[in-house]
Amino acid sequence: MFFDLNIKGSGLENNIKLATEASKYGWSHINFSYNQNEFQNALNFKDELKSELNECISFDYTLEIKSTNINDIRKITNKFRSKASCISVVGGNLKVNRAVLENPKIDVLSRPYLQRYDSGLNHVLAREAFNNNVAVELVFHDVLKSYLSHRSKIISNFRDVYTLYRKFDFPLILSSRAHSIFDIKTTYDFIAFFSQTGLNKDEIEKSFLTSSGILDFNKKRKNMILKGVRRINDEA
Amino acid sequence: MKLKVLPPTLRKNNRYLTVDIKVVESINKDELVTIIWDACIRFQGECNTSNFNLWVMRFYEMENTNEYYHYKAIVRCQRDFVEQVRSSFALANNYHNNRISMTVIGLSGTIKASQKFI
Repeated sequence: MFFDLNIKGSGLENNIKLATEASKYGWSHINFSYNQNEFQNALNFKDELKSELNECISFDYTLEIKSTNINDIRKITNKFRSKASCISVVGGNLKVNRAVLENPKIDVLSRPYLQRYDSGLNHVLAREAFNNNVAVELVFHDVLKSYLSHRSKIISNFRDVYTLYRKFDFPLILSSRAHSIFDIKTTYDFIAFFSQTGLNKDEIEKSFLTSSGILDFNKKRKNMILKGVRRINDEA
Repeated sequence: MKLKVLPPTLRKNNRYLTVDIKVVESINKDELVTIIWDACIRFQGECNTSNFNLWVMRFYEMENTNEYYHYKAIVRCQRDFVEQVRSSFALANNYHNNRISMTVIGLSGTIKASQKFI
């Protein structure tokens, strides 16, 4: 069960290429991510994409919100909550990181370390992530596209996140954020990279389960009345 | 004078990685050797790379597409360092300002067995 919740979505043809390549390299499910401006447009060709892929790989869409305005993030989340199988917010700004981790309607805080000198998380935020069940996402593409000291700093930030993850046990997901077929690697290469940065095999496996758990949870989300209360169809 | 071959117990144990390579400009085997060594030295450092016992055993040209030249290769590495080599290959993304992608599609104990991934 190899899940990747963040592959950069673009046009129909490019999506087909990416999905085919991902399927060839062993991925079982991918999510194409679109920002708030492109998401509605991408929904229009979702059925066509589904028929083209023809069960070669399962896919869905992630809404990736990129904004530094907390009110905007909240409004966009409420607007698209029922349409997107996963909502992630690009982090990096401390205020955004905190607002996202305190909002249980958001699924993922993507790259809390972005354009920062630290990991963007501390013990307070880690506890919030655990309480509100918001996953923290680490992205392979950031390491792939950087080099020398910058790459070292990103891997160092990853390690800081791992330390907090081991203590607070918040959901952690790993994704590739592949832009093109050059960025997609086999699942075993992906695992090998993250095990080199300091995660063990169980933790990596758990991250894939977390990704699949997010999608399952969101399928049932409309039945959630309150936190911990869910409407079920029980004839008895 | 040639050195006498080591007894099997003293020989290093090898693994053979079948590598899928996509590159925007065409490359030859020598260039691939450079790419592989650079990738390993850059990610793992000189000291760690010295353990890997890297060697390009076979180099195959596959069918090209409009976007990239496609190659496959069989690369030898030492048994206990497969993870390190895999991750280094995965992080290679540039050669002479051309995009490159390397990913390991097969792992086996003999060259013959690794050829089934080609």
